[in-house]
Amino acid sequence: MALSKRKRATYFRYAQYGLLVLIALVVAFTGNWSEIAHTFFDLKTVGQMFPDLVTVALKNTIIYTILGFAFGLALGLLLALMKLSSVAPYRWIATTYIEFFRGVPALLVFLAFTVAVPLAFEIKFDIYSTAMLALGLVGAAYMAETIRAGIQAVPKGQVEAARSLGMSRGRAMVTIVIPQAFRIILPPLTNELIMLTKDSSLIYIVGVTREQYELTKFGREFLSRSPTLTPILVIGLSYLVITLPLGYLSRYLERRSGGKKVSVV
Amino acid sequence: MSEICVEIAGLKKSFGPLEVLKNIDLTVNRGDVVCIIGPSGSGKSTLLRCVNLLEEPNGGKIVVNDTELTDPDVDIDRARTKIGMVFQSFNLFSHLTVLNNLTVAQRKVLKRGEKEAQEIGLRNLERVGLKEKANAMPAQLSGGQQQRAAIARALSMNPEVMLFDEPTSALDPELVGDVLGVMRQLADEGMTMLVVTHEMQFAREVADKVIFMDGGYIVEEGPAAEVIGNPQEERTREFLARVLDPTHHGPSDPV
Repeated sequence: MALSKRKRATYFRYAQYGLLVLIALVVAFTGNWSEIAHTFFDLKTVGQMFPDLVTVALKNTIIYTILGFAFGLALGLLLALMKLSSVAPYRWIATTYIEFFRGVPALLVFLAFTVAVPLAFEIKFDIYSTAMLALGLVGAAYMAETIRAGIQAVPKGQVEAARSLGMSRGRAMVTIVIPQAFRIILPPLTNELIMLTKDSSLIYIVGVTREQYELTKFGREFLSRSPTLTPILVIGLSYLVITLPLGYLSRYLERRSGGKKVSVV
Repeated sequence: MSEICVEIAGLKKSFGPLEVLKNIDLTVNRGDVVCIIGPSGSGKSTLLRCVNLLEEPNGGKIVVNDTELTDPDVDIDRARTKIGMVFQSFNLFSHLTVLNNLTVAQRKVLKRGEKEAQEIGLRNLERVGLKEKANAMPAQLSGGQQQRAAIARALSMNPEVMLFDEPTSALDPELVGDVLGVMRQLADEGMTMLVVTHEMQFAREVADKVIFMDGGYIVEEGPAAEVIGNPQEERTREFLARVLDPTHHGPSDPV
């Protein structure tokens, strides 16, 4: 029996739907729902987590992330410019940096700031400096590549027009190229911010006091005292409170820049 | 200030092994309009881009407004403020409004105040008939409007000479006239202009001098009526025949 291409596609679609329904049914019947509700949705535990969940943990996660992102963005921009430089040693330094910090786990960088750097340089960093430096150093490696791509995506004619109006190379970069580059890379930069939000959980390794807890550490502490696993769910949802709006923002910016391109054509 | 605005002597330019300009000599008097014509690949755009050093020459001497641009110690940014440039692809700054396109270099390079820069910008927008588009973004303008805004941007720096690199080649045919009209008006006001163009009628009516380039050389130069109306060189005649009467010629011979 020869089915038309269209019929085959339709049946295949039905088969997919059927499979999804089957999976949902299996989960629904095999799951011990009263146990799950008791373990993960214990409202009493949820109540105990407030208000510190917001006033300490959520707040600190946001602070650490913003500090790290700001420092990482500045360093990433510098690295991107070095990578595009006509001076070869600058390019080598930037490449080495990016390859190194992109390649090692962020956890190791935090560890270095807890043990190695204070030992080697006889400096003690407070929690905010540690968050800023460790998150920023790792984030910069990723952001540098994104920013470099953005700068290279700005049409060459923009620089030529700026230079022919008497702007120096640096002036054209600051006034014309970088603002346009950032418009292009806003969506991927938002993704970097989301990644850093999650990486900020690594700060626990430096040893933090109760007032310095961020979401993950706060949740783990609660978990050790809680009879249920509810804190895991609450912490997970708390991250989503930060990252979902960022994801929405990213898609909005993408749509907007995409829409602009259409109107140009 | 001398009578001569642009003086080029023995100019050579290569891209890798490709010699694009081979020993160009050219003098442009103040207030003159010089049109450069020639087949694609003849080096005419490269020549124009050498006049504000967007292309670095490999040899020869370029003097513009009594400043030798080929002097290694020249302050090229300063020299460029007196040389306006208009590109085939407009190159308006896409993140700035039309008015800010006109004021950004005035403020950052010439250090004019915000208010003064805006006044000068608006005056030049009016000159090109775009005053009502001051707050529009470049993407909202038609090609012809974008190019006129680009001309106004160059004029806002009060240049001594204007360079036009095929300013109408990227435009729809019905928009070409607007841009040529603005250029003719500029010429009438006495602006010194170097124009790379395929608009033979514009060259014939507006140019004080027409230069025909081919293969990196200036093949023929003289008053528009002579170079276009009565060309002496075989290559000029052949090129003009193709441009002015494109349907009555077969495909060009392989080079």
